[in-house]
Amino acid sequence: MKNLISLDSLTDIVSNSVGILIIFAVINLIHDNNKTYQLEIPLEHATDLSPVFFIAKDDRILAMDTDKLFSNAALQATSGAAGGKRIFALDFFGLFGQIDEDKGISFYARDTSQWPEFHELEKRNSDLRKKLNSIDPAKQFAYFFVYDNSEDGATAGSGFEAFRKAREYLKAHYVKTGWQPVNSEAPANICDSAYSSRCIYLPSYLGGGSTAK
Amino acid sequence: MSISRAARIKRYSLEHKLETSLFPFLSIFLCVMGVLSFINVLSSFSAPQKIELTAQLEQGYKVAYQIFSLPDGIISLPPVKHLKKLQEAVDDADKETIADIMRRRQSAIRRLKKHSGAIMNAAIEPDIDEILEVLHDIRSLNEMALKANYLYEEFLLFGIYPNGGQAYQKIRDIMSFTQDARSISVGLEPLDSNWTLNLKKTDSEAQ
Repeated sequence: MKNLISLDSLTDIVSNSVGILIIFAVINLIHDNNKTYQLEIPLEHATDLSPVFFIAKDDRILAMDTDKLFSNAALQATSGAAGGKRIFALDFFGLFGQIDEDKGISFYARDTSQWPEFHELEKRNSDLRKKLNSIDPAKQFAYFFVYDNSEDGATAGSGFEAFRKAREYLKAHYVKTGWQPVNSEAPANICDSAYSSRCIYLPSYLGGGSTAK
Repeated sequence: MSISRAARIKRYSLEHKLETSLFPFLSIFLCVMGVLSFINVLSSFSAPQKIELTAQLEQGYKVAYQIFSLPDGIISLPPVKHLKKLQEAVDDADKETIADIMRRRQSAIRRLKKHSGAIMNAAIEPDIDEILEVLHDIRSLNEMALKANYLYEEFLLFGIYPNGGQAYQKIRDIMSFTQDARSISVGLEPLDSNWTLNLKKTDSEAQ
């Protein structure tokens, strides 16, 4: 007669484990279905702080060196390349510009491959982190132009996640942030509020933070 | 000596005892478990968590008039929860104005509730007159609350979905040329496409 190994105990253990896993899965599912998210309440407000501009696109963040960008744009304008609302190269991380009387300078971000990825915020000595750390919360705030376009299947806009991470990082360093959604049809633009009421860049304060009930 | 029939049967059954094999059961069981675990791990990596947004949002005396900006337009979600109490605090002339605003807001919420299919498909193109009316209502309510010394302030909170920036820009354009918008606080938040709106909460609170 064959000597069979008894599988009863093994079956018992496996069945119990699976049962517990299923119970966990069901509890998890019920919990997830009831999860409600309250939006943070970031209210724009007037400030004496000056903005430091950033563009967030394709999970990357570019710190805009406005001095360099404006001087490059001025050079292009004096050479006639920027006339007639023509789009011209700004020689700054693949940015292109357009000068418009109403909108000031519009910035078209076509090639973002040279921009730092937002994951670099986790690296201690990354340029992006250094740039964000250089913002003085007593004098400045960060203003983001965030690309809202999403690829098929993507749940967030191409700059949303990068912006959220940067905002979180800056909030921890007491730096205020403001933002606006942009896209290729309505690109980032910097202008003087003396020309148009739309040329206002305000920070937001986050009241209370997000809570999940 | 012949063996009895009963003894033969007994001996036969002892020799050919029915043995249950657990191998097929275990094999199928482990396969199912493996597949389930794989799906679970895969879904936790690939599908971000689905989150429901609350329809009624407030912080202290500040109450949000939420506008969700989607690629196809906007969904407006007016607050109604505290309007009855505000109505009790204001004078008779303002009571009627608040009643009118409440009626319009409740009917807007009912329209949203009646919408068949996913609520996020209920987005409509922002209409200039409607936006102006919303801004005027918010300003009126805030001024009435201030006049009655009642702690209540409505503000506009935009939830921007992916590819929803266009509708938002249109509303900001409208806001830039109306006086009503000057005194209204504005907030905006980026939302992901799998963040849905929970209207049940609005409905229960609106009663």
